[in-house]
Amino acid sequence: METQNQKDLFLKLIQENRGIIFRICNSYCQTKNDREDLAQEIIYQLWKSSHSFNNTNKFSTWMYRIALNVAISSYRKTKRSAPVIYLTEDDTAFNKSEETGHDKEEQFELLQKFINELPELDRALMLLHLDAKPAAEIAEILGITETNISTKISRIKEKLKQKFSAIK
Amino acid sequence: METSIENLLQDYRKRTEETSLMHAMQLNIGLLTVLQKQRANSKLRSLAAIKIIAVILGIIWVLFLAVLVYGAGFKYPYFSISASAIIIFTVIAIVVYIKHFILISQINYSESITATQKKLSELKLSTINVARVLFLQMPFYTTWFWSSTWIHYDELNFWLITFPITLAFTVLAIWLYKNISPANSHKKWFRILFNSPEWTLVIKANEFIKVIDDFENEDA
Repeated sequence: METQNQKDLFLKLIQENRGIIFRICNSYCQTKNDREDLAQEIIYQLWKSSHSFNNTNKFSTWMYRIALNVAISSYRKTKRSAPVIYLTEDDTAFNKSEETGHDKEEQFELLQKFINELPELDRALMLLHLDAKPAAEIAEILGITETNISTKISRIKEKLKQKFSAIK
Repeated sequence: METSIENLLQDYRKRTEETSLMHAMQLNIGLLTVLQKQRANSKLRSLAAIKIIAVILGIIWVLFLAVLVYGAGFKYPYFSISASAIIIFTVIAIVVYIKHFILISQINYSESITATQKKLSELKLSTINVARVLFLQMPFYTTWFWSSTWIHYDELNFWLITFPITLAFTVLAIWLYKNISPANSHKKWFRILFNSPEWTLVIKANEFIKVIDDFENEDA
């Protein structure tokens, strides 16, 4: 990030991918203040780590790595008992077509609660999955194998299904 | 009415994105400069500031002892040897502490999540070595006031009370040095000894390493 043009380009890339920061902040923070604080910390770290961005990598992969690492580290420092998860993408993990008696908002809150109970690494995995990232990219971001990704996603989905079944 | 989770999530996505703080954020160099200053200030206000104060106090303590040792010279050999030993252990602890602090702040966040988090946790955990070293100076706090005259004048009390106390502290210091390790972090004595927010984070780092190992394991 030597020249002004490179700096501008870098900022443009962050701006274009700002949804990643937004989703991660919503997943790991409970309050608006915490979300804003984490967003600033992520942007600061992205800027600080700009030299480590290699053009051969996908920008969103690099950005996800930094943002998730900052979020998890920050979350572990100030761990709260029940952070709220706001999901932002559709998931085809399960269809709840049966009549349950819950309205939309209640179902959503339950889903938030269940994912909220996942350990932070599983939560990162679900975040990437909900963002429709391919297994290869998730594996690259998290540092585990693609087979492991598929196995874990299936297990997490199964857990969520069971939790929904249990409250019927 | 049948409602799918997908529809719920899509609706919520629209709602949350409408109120997104990020949408209002337009990044520019000026904002980043302000951000850098803010981050630096907030870090100074945080726990990092306490650590910096601890290091400064440690350095002041070492300098104070060094002046006393210089003044005492060979006139008070027990004091000089004890204080010198305390200086050595404190300096080692300060150097290790600063080194870990710098390594943690320089961690590369652009590596994979498991690799970075494991490195970070291992570094945090290694600060336990500071405590191990500091415990080794314990016996020297029971010997600095010794003097040949005093020992000869009150030999009985020295061998019956003073010396056994020093011996007990020596055994305890060596035992702690050998046993303070992440492997014992689940034990009651360890949790009592390291019952402060900073050490709790260090102990949790050990637990997180196990979580990462499980996460990396395909069968977990």
